Amino acid sequence: MNGEQRSGAMRSEEAGRTESAGQAADVGGSFEPGSGISEGAGDTWRIGDLEMTSRFFLGTGLFPNPFVQNEAIRVSGAEVLTFAIRRVDLESAEDDSILQHLEPGAFQYLPNTSGSRTAEEAVRIARLARASGLSDWIKVEISADERTLLPDPIETLRATEILVKEGFTVLPYTSDDPVICRRLEEAGAAAIMPGGAPIGTGLGILNPYNIGLIAEEANVPVIVDAGLGTASDAALAMELGAAAILMNTPVAKAQDPARMALAMKLAIEGGRLAYLSGRMPKKRYASASSGFQSLIVE
Amino acid sequence: MVNLIVNGIRRELEAASVADVVERLGLAGRPVVAEVDGEVLVQEEWASAEVRDGMRIELVHFVGGG
Repeated sequence: MNGEQRSGAMRSEEAGRTESAGQAADVGGSFEPGSGISEGAGDTWRIGDLEMTSRFFLGTGLFPNPFVQNEAIRVSGAEVLTFAIRRVDLESAEDDSILQHLEPGAFQYLPNTSGSRTAEEAVRIARLARASGLSDWIKVEISADERTLLPDPIETLRATEILVKEGFTVLPYTSDDPVICRRLEEAGAAAIMPGGAPIGTGLGILNPYNIGLIAEEANVPVIVDAGLGTASDAALAMELGAAAILMNTPVAKAQDPARMALAMKLAIEGGRLAYLSGRMPKKRYASASSGFQSLIVE
Repeated sequence: MVNLIVNGIRRELEAASVADVVERLGLAGRPVVAEVDGEVLVQEEWASAEVRDGMRIELVHFVGGG
């Protein structure tokens, strides 16, 4: 199925109107029609103290080499980059830290708690990440098992509660369940990051109804994280009302990662503009663009 | 000499403090975070954090991830 058909599943004419009404409550943007419509001018959004223009969070894993990665980062326009925390390899004299390749202070860092299976493990990794002095943002990522890497929503909620109390800016990665997303928001999450599909699968948004509902109901930014595969997936996420996209594998594992980073950037911007513009209602039958009154043929 | 478990591996090092351990392992000046017996230490605390036999030290850093 393509994006058009999938989004169509949830959008009757009635739903189309509801969607437009929902935009007023959108926490993601401050776009003002008539203020010069070019590349989403003025459409900024915010997490904590950080005001952002880009709606593209880029992961830093799996790139073929640091040169390609830096080019992809540059082209993406991303202001937020994600990382993992791992043991230093003491057997290797080489500095394998990802940070050596990045300009200091140019990005907001979003370390994740990948590798954790419980709230306690995630909290431990978060504290280590913050002790770097580089960021107090944390992506809570707690996987229930290695085969699916699906998030454990109960441990994720527990970790979020603890880390919010400790003063972190918490961005939990969770399942695309509207109720757990609401609970995470109530626990003080700075943004909610539902997955489109399991990490690294590239299957796209498996449940557009849920992602749309989560975006509609949330009072914090919704960032679709994980499972996207190509540009139309990113556009669909934005059309459904997501404030932003977090992705890694679709860019890093493309044959031309930098070009794909640009494709994603443009798709995110296109989807965002379509969302703000309020799409036409879907109709069951044809409707001509020109009337039949002055038809030449009798 | 102290016997420490650093990143899960037993090591004998000439070190009095966490700062010494980081130095001996060739990690001085690198963006590394230390955890000693489950307690996270920021870099400013390393010089005054004494190490004793049997301590478990984790040295971690940022790597690529999504």
